Amino acid sequence: MEQAVINVRHISKQFKLIRAVDDLSFTVQQGDIYGFLGQNGAGKSSMIRMLLSLIKPTAGSIEIFGKDLSRHRLEILRKVGAIIEKPDVYKYLSAYQNLKLFARLSGLSPSEKLLMQELDQVGLAGRAHDKVKTFSQGMKQRLGIAVALIHNPEIIILDEPTNGLDPQGIAEMRRIILHLHRERKKTVLVSSHLLSEIQQLATRILIIDKGKKILEDSAAALFDPAQTMVELITMDNTTTEKILSESSWQACLQPARNNALILKMHLQQVPAFNRWMVQQGIDIISLQPRNSLEDLFIQVTTTSHVETH
Amino acid sequence: MWKLINIEVYKIFKRPRTYIAFAAITALIVIIQLGLYVDGETYIDFLMSNLKESFDFEGKILNGYLVCYLLLQLLLIHVPLLIALVAGDMISGEANMGTLRLLLTKPVSKTNFVLAKFLAASFYTLLLLIWIAFLALAVSTWIFGTGDLIIQKNAYVVQIASADVLWRYAYAFVFAFLAMLSVTALGFFLSVFAENSIGPIVATISIIIVFTILSTMSIPLFQHIQPYLFTTHMVNWKEFFDEKLDASGNVMTGSVQEIEQVYHSALVLGMYIVGFVTLSVFIFKRKDILS
Repeated sequence: MEQAVINVRHISKQFKLIRAVDDLSFTVQQGDIYGFLGQNGAGKSSMIRMLLSLIKPTAGSIEIFGKDLSRHRLEILRKVGAIIEKPDVYKYLSAYQNLKLFARLSGLSPSEKLLMQELDQVGLAGRAHDKVKTFSQGMKQRLGIAVALIHNPEIIILDEPTNGLDPQGIAEMRRIILHLHRERKKTVLVSSHLLSEIQQLATRILIIDKGKKILEDSAAALFDPAQTMVELITMDNTTTEKILSESSWQACLQPARNNALILKMHLQQVPAFNRWMVQQGIDIISLQPRNSLEDLFIQVTTTSHVETH
Repeated sequence: MWKLINIEVYKIFKRPRTYIAFAAITALIVIIQLGLYVDGETYIDFLMSNLKESFDFEGKILNGYLVCYLLLQLLLIHVPLLIALVAGDMISGEANMGTLRLLLTKPVSKTNFVLAKFLAASFYTLLLLIWIAFLALAVSTWIFGTGDLIIQKNAYVVQIASADVLWRYAYAFVFAFLAMLSVTALGFFLSVFAENSIGPIVATISIIIVFTILSTMSIPLFQHIQPYLFTTHMVNWKEFFDEKLDASGNVMTGSVQEIEQVYHSALVLGMYIVGFVTLSVFIFKRKDILS
């Protein structure tokens, strides 16, 4: 049975004139890879910092493992591991020294063997005694993961973990997150601006914009092939829309956007729809199914902006 | 808490910046000792020129105790600047490196975190003073030998018997530690507000310079505020090198002329330290970590 491990209720954060997070509520279930999406400045980092009690909410409450974060901070942080933006560690210390230091801060007295094992897990055993200032960004990120995991937390919070990584590093980070989820049964909350990464990882997705929740659903529901949005551009969209509205495809028509007609249909219906249009003599410029997270993200954030204006 | 202090001390002594102060103090003391060793008698003749017209001095005036006193007079004005380098960096440096947010995602109480950092900075200050004591007192007495300590005050001369000097230095160093700790607390307090080290370090140094000027200038306006400035009280380690006279005008060996003034100054410095540290904890606990 699913169990809520993070429960955020009506959280707001005001920084002087800026409302970074505005009445945001969401729930992360045990075992989720929870994708947290939003444009730059949408309030993702502020929300994540509130989850780690780095900043205090202006209003609302956060419960983690059923306990109020403001009153049980230490108890909760013992079960949480996190990387916030860049995993900055002490550059004048070695990877081994850094890991040992953060393990001790987490209340552990780890043996050399355990520390080396942890470094080995992230592929840094060979550089364990090198100073971090000699590391690449990817190596620092992997060390950050080791630091976040050293106390075997139940929840892992990763804020933009792929920032500054090359494609190889991004793939490696994806592999690590999936390993944590599948093999070590961790709950992961991950924010990223790389939508394709989130689409490949997340079991549940939250999209926020200007601090407000725009959309939250399971990945399965969001990428349901039966709900595929199809973008259609023809030589004469006005006539095409008229033809469509008088046909059996009329029920699929959605409000037009950006000089394109939008239809909602099952992905498997798209070839038949294409054939039908050719038979109607419609000159098609472009017919594109839009069911990627990027499409969804643009769709919901654009709608949100239009509504705001 | 002990573990936190250990970690903080470990971090301080792993940073190259920490050793700048030790290197600077060593260089300064060795240079002065060398100068006095080579040409010290000329310097003493110059210092005592007025006195030598009225008094006959026997024995070795330029001894290790006097050299230590001269060094302390000089160093205890400049050491705060070196202490500011570390104290002003304690929290702001972590914010600048980005490690503050990582540290605070670990199960560490914010109060304990701030107190551990302050205690680690205090330990650094203590080691710095022990190093000064070793170089200025132990090495100087080894090079220059011992003897009565003759000090010229504003209106009179104090001669402290050789056997009566060491305990005075012990207390003077304890008092100096308290004085330097007030600088540590100030630098530490300022570091809570900033996200890079330069600001709090420069601010600490500036405050010390301005307060020292205000503490030493005999302008009536300044004299009203002087009792409240910690810099006024920092120099009162010198009071340990003054003796009481009995009713018949004889020196009371083992006495301190203005011991109440020493207690009062220690109390003021203590209040500054407690005040700065309490405020640091209070502000840090309410601060949003945005670095």
